[in-house]
Amino acid sequence: MLQRKGWKILLLVVFCAIFMVACSDDKKETNSSEGKGEKEPTTEKKEELVVAVNENFISMDPHNTGDTNSNSVQSAMLEGLLGFDDEGQIINVLAEDYSVSEDALVYTFKLHQGIKFHDGEDFNAEAVKVNFERIMKDKSLRLNSRGFSLIKKIETPSEYEIKITLKETYSPMLTRFGVAKIISPKSVKENPADIPKKPVGTGAYKFGEWVQGDHLTIERFDDYWGKGDRVKKITFKPVPESGSRVAMLKTGEAGVIYPVPSQNIAQVEGDKNIQVFKVPSTIAHYVSINTYKKPFNDPKVRQAFNYAVDKDAFIKVVNFGLGVPLDSIISSKTIYYKKQEAYAQNIEKAKQLLKEAGYPDGFETEIWGNTNSDTMKGMQFIQQQLKQIGVKVEIKSMEEGTLSDEIYGAQTPDDAKLQMWYVSWSSYASDVTNATKPLFHSESFPPNGANTAYYNNKEVDKWMDEANSISDKAKQEELYGKIQETVYKDAPWIFLGVDEIVYGVRSDVEGVVVEPTGGLDVKDANFK
Amino acid sequence: MLRYIIKRVLEILPIIFVVSILSFLFIHFIPGDPARLVAGKDATLQDVQNVREELGLNDPIWKQYISYMGNLLQGNLGTSLKTGLPVSDMFSSRFMPSIYLTFFAMIWATIIGLLIGAISAVFKNKWPDYLGMVTAVSGISLPGFWLGLLLIQLFSVQLGMLPTGGSEGFKSYILPSLTLGAGIMSMIARFTRSSLLETLQTDYIRTGRAKGLKESVVIIQHALRNSLIPVVTIAGLQFGFLLGGSVVVETVFSFPGMGRLLIDSIAFRDYPVIQSALLLFAIEFIIVNLVVDILYSVLNPKIQIQS
Amino acid sequence: MNSVSIDKNEKTVSMQPKYSPVKEFWKNFRKQKVAFIASVFVLLLILVAILAPYIAPFDPYKPNYDALLEPPSKSHLAGTDEYGRDILSRLIMGTRISLSVSFASVFLGMILGTILGLMSGYFGGWLDRIIMRSSDVLFSFPDLLLAIAIVAILGPGLNNVIIAVTVFGIPSFARLVRGATLEAKENTYVEAAKSMGAPHRRIMYKHIFPETVSSLIIFVTMRIGTAILAASSLSFLGLGASPETPEWGVMLSTGRDYLGTASHVVIVPGIAIFLTVLAFNLIGDGLRDVLDPKTKND
Repeated sequence: MLQRKGWKILLLVVFCAIFMVACSDDKKETNSSEGKGEKEPTTEKKEELVVAVNENFISMDPHNTGDTNSNSVQSAMLEGLLGFDDEGQIINVLAEDYSVSEDALVYTFKLHQGIKFHDGEDFNAEAVKVNFERIMKDKSLRLNSRGFSLIKKIETPSEYEIKITLKETYSPMLTRFGVAKIISPKSVKENPADIPKKPVGTGAYKFGEWVQGDHLTIERFDDYWGKGDRVKKITFKPVPESGSRVAMLKTGEAGVIYPVPSQNIAQVEGDKNIQVFKVPSTIAHYVSINTYKKPFNDPKVRQAFNYAVDKDAFIKVVNFGLGVPLDSIISSKTIYYKKQEAYAQNIEKAKQLLKEAGYPDGFETEIWGNTNSDTMKGMQFIQQQLKQIGVKVEIKSMEEGTLSDEIYGAQTPDDAKLQMWYVSWSSYASDVTNATKPLFHSESFPPNGANTAYYNNKEVDKWMDEANSISDKAKQEELYGKIQETVYKDAPWIFLGVDEIVYGVRSDVEGVVVEPTGGLDVKDANFK
Repeated sequence: MLRYIIKRVLEILPIIFVVSILSFLFIHFIPGDPARLVAGKDATLQDVQNVREELGLNDPIWKQYISYMGNLLQGNLGTSLKTGLPVSDMFSSRFMPSIYLTFFAMIWATIIGLLIGAISAVFKNKWPDYLGMVTAVSGISLPGFWLGLLLIQLFSVQLGMLPTGGSEGFKSYILPSLTLGAGIMSMIARFTRSSLLETLQTDYIRTGRAKGLKESVVIIQHALRNSLIPVVTIAGLQFGFLLGGSVVVETVFSFPGMGRLLIDSIAFRDYPVIQSALLLFAIEFIIVNLVVDILYSVLNPKIQIQS
Repeated sequence: MNSVSIDKNEKTVSMQPKYSPVKEFWKNFRKQKVAFIASVFVLLLILVAILAPYIAPFDPYKPNYDALLEPPSKSHLAGTDEYGRDILSRLIMGTRISLSVSFASVFLGMILGTILGLMSGYFGGWLDRIIMRSSDVLFSFPDLLLAIAIVAILGPGLNNVIIAVTVFGIPSFARLVRGATLEAKENTYVEAAKSMGAPHRRIMYKHIFPETVSSLIIFVTMRIGTAILAASSLSFLGLGASPETPEWGVMLSTGRDYLGTASHVVIVPGIAIFLTVLAFNLIGDGLRDVLDPKTKND
């Protein structure tokens, strides 16, 4: 009997403990949500904008960021010497003016005066120098390998002038000066460990708080040097599940969602409280074909594949009617883009080409891709399309890490097991080098680059090298014209489509823009 | 008793050690190169090698393990490869939400489970029993992500009553904990039922009935109380599973918890984060197990503790 | 003399289950109305799985880009999916795939788990310790993680899903059988057989294993449900069967993007999974009521 009583008491204690924890937590949680001011009367002007994005933010270190969403947050807080306009082309930001020497080695910037960082430090040439030196020294920083390791010397002739000399030409350098945001020299010197957590810049917003995985808040910086009126506080929330994101926009939980999943556009388009914007992007979808391997070493086979695939159907089925066919090797937003005559679907011609190549009955092959639902959908589409010309495709979707091992593990073209890869590529609209060299230059075979088509054309190599060593824009345009024409005809890819980026905004929100690269610009966001 | 507890606690250490080695091997054995993923798609071989060197991934595995364990013993979980943030920072904001979620799921599951189980046992092989058991079994038969998606669609999108995700406020815990607890509710209901049925057949209960006690008194005061022991055990064990097992639910509800962090980190091959998260899960699980075992032997003196 | 009587004893023990219990089982099981209905449902499913190619109204793989995401109608009873394929036909073909994946993984897991559990319970000592501690370790990893790891190492595909789900189930079987073995070991005839020097393998197979069968049957039935769920969770995370396969989990996972616009794409396969798993679990529950002596009818 005593025993029984004993456990009864114990049980009671356990339950009480559970309830107490639960209740105390309960209270705390509701308090914090009240603090957010979600239930404020709608007549007053709202002071907090919630932006729901599709992925977690990775890092707030502007010199080590590779993902779009981290970039979007950073660009509201931090600024570079240069920047990008709505079309993705280069504009001046912290620099008033700049010039590039004819040999494309020396870059000189004249800086704006009187700008202060959020921590009160002065913005000047010395601050820029501290930033660039940080990137040059630390090899693990993403930007280090993207131009900054090529810097030979940095000179500061005056307090608001800086001169950078490169060891060798690197034509994407201007884009890099736009990407490399400048942070307070004090934080670089005194608190480098905090840079990925809470960056200090010169932008319209300053860092508020970041609760990992849940939200990141930025607050208006009232001493901002630029013009414009903006909302007081912006909260970014990562919401990976597309359906949930859309629900947030519909219920008003979020003022902006990015991106609106294409399958949900119809759901929100009719809603008068919601505006949906579509922006052409630089994100190109394609299937790279291993041109080194039989039967793909025959251009006729590759062309046959291109003729077999209906690009309009691709856009309709895989992309919900969003986007345009990829009619060159780069997207139409990329600088020096030149439209090519697209491969229109023609099954007869495709079969004929296969026959000429010696495969009248088709053959079996496989396609690789990651495990994203969009990729799996695209691969199925390719499988269905190629079936029409007798080619049997096996789909192998692999986890990103496994996939990258399989592809980049091949040390030589002979080792490569890859046959086809369903993938996309995106680079800054102002950076044509990065949209071509890693993909088509023979130096860029895996593991040294992303030329997974093993495309090898000495002439194209030469044109790329030449374009990268000069600063003459007319000549560059001519060279890139030739490159696009030649490669498109050689068909190392199945050219599919270019995405449109779709984002949704509540009707009472204005000033939100998305760039072709996918960066979300909220620095001028406000409630109407 | 004390000796038993000490012995069990000592037994934990080798398990944790084995888990640490296994999880270390696990992350290095699965294909994928974090350096490549850190460096980015357009990186050259040189870039990748630089990153690898910088991150210390070029050292032999045993050396990496020793340095990891060395840091760990000093309370340093390392730095995330992906974010450059200290792992402990990444955990601190995610740990408690996961615990709360688990608690909420456990609480409702236990209450409803007990209720359904008791009703079913009392009305054995009558329609309340059938209804109760089909409800209970439904809980374990629903794909978690499917249930979650449907709940979001219904309560958030259609009715606009509850938030779709996140961890702000009690409201945002409702749907995820409903989803997470469904399976547990079912387990508890079924255990309560069979355990109660068993107790109802004991002489002790028969005597009570024979003595003319009210049926409700017999059931609530005597039978239910006795049959709770195995239920506590099963609830405790499930709690252990839940702590680490909410991966899918956290994904569906974009819940900022440990499960989702783990999945994201695996996708990125973020070794330090995966390693520490696995270790944490294992420790949680073992501690819960231990508590359950101790509780069990306290509750039921019939269980012999061999020390 | 002594040995003869023991042999007899043993015979009567092993004779009995051959005779009346089957009948009695049947009698009792039919009383479990819910479980009975569930087993009829499962039998139907198995029939569908066997006849799948003959009863599917359309080619489950054939796309029709002019009939995307159509809601259920007369010609497509369950509507069409994002490629315009007939969902009903895919469900029917999927029955075969989902059932065979779960059967295969559960039986493999059962065989391996039973062997380990028998050895662990029977021999005890260090072997028991190793096996049980390893199963502790396996248990202490979050549920899907092992499966994810295995698929990451082996690559995608149905066979690897089976392996992953199998490994995932081994520790549970091992524990269950170990428990039953420990109980059976105490029986006098086991002691007797041991003392007579019967080989271990024979004792385990002849005397102990039969004692574990009824718990195994119950557990296997329930496990099939779990396996279907595990396989579909793997698919949800993109690690399951190849995306064109009409496996239920794959259908559910690729369809989830359309919940707001064409909900039938998600709801239909979800219901299929739910009902099937439910049926197996209900059968398991019913079997337990019948087979487990502790909860037998008064």
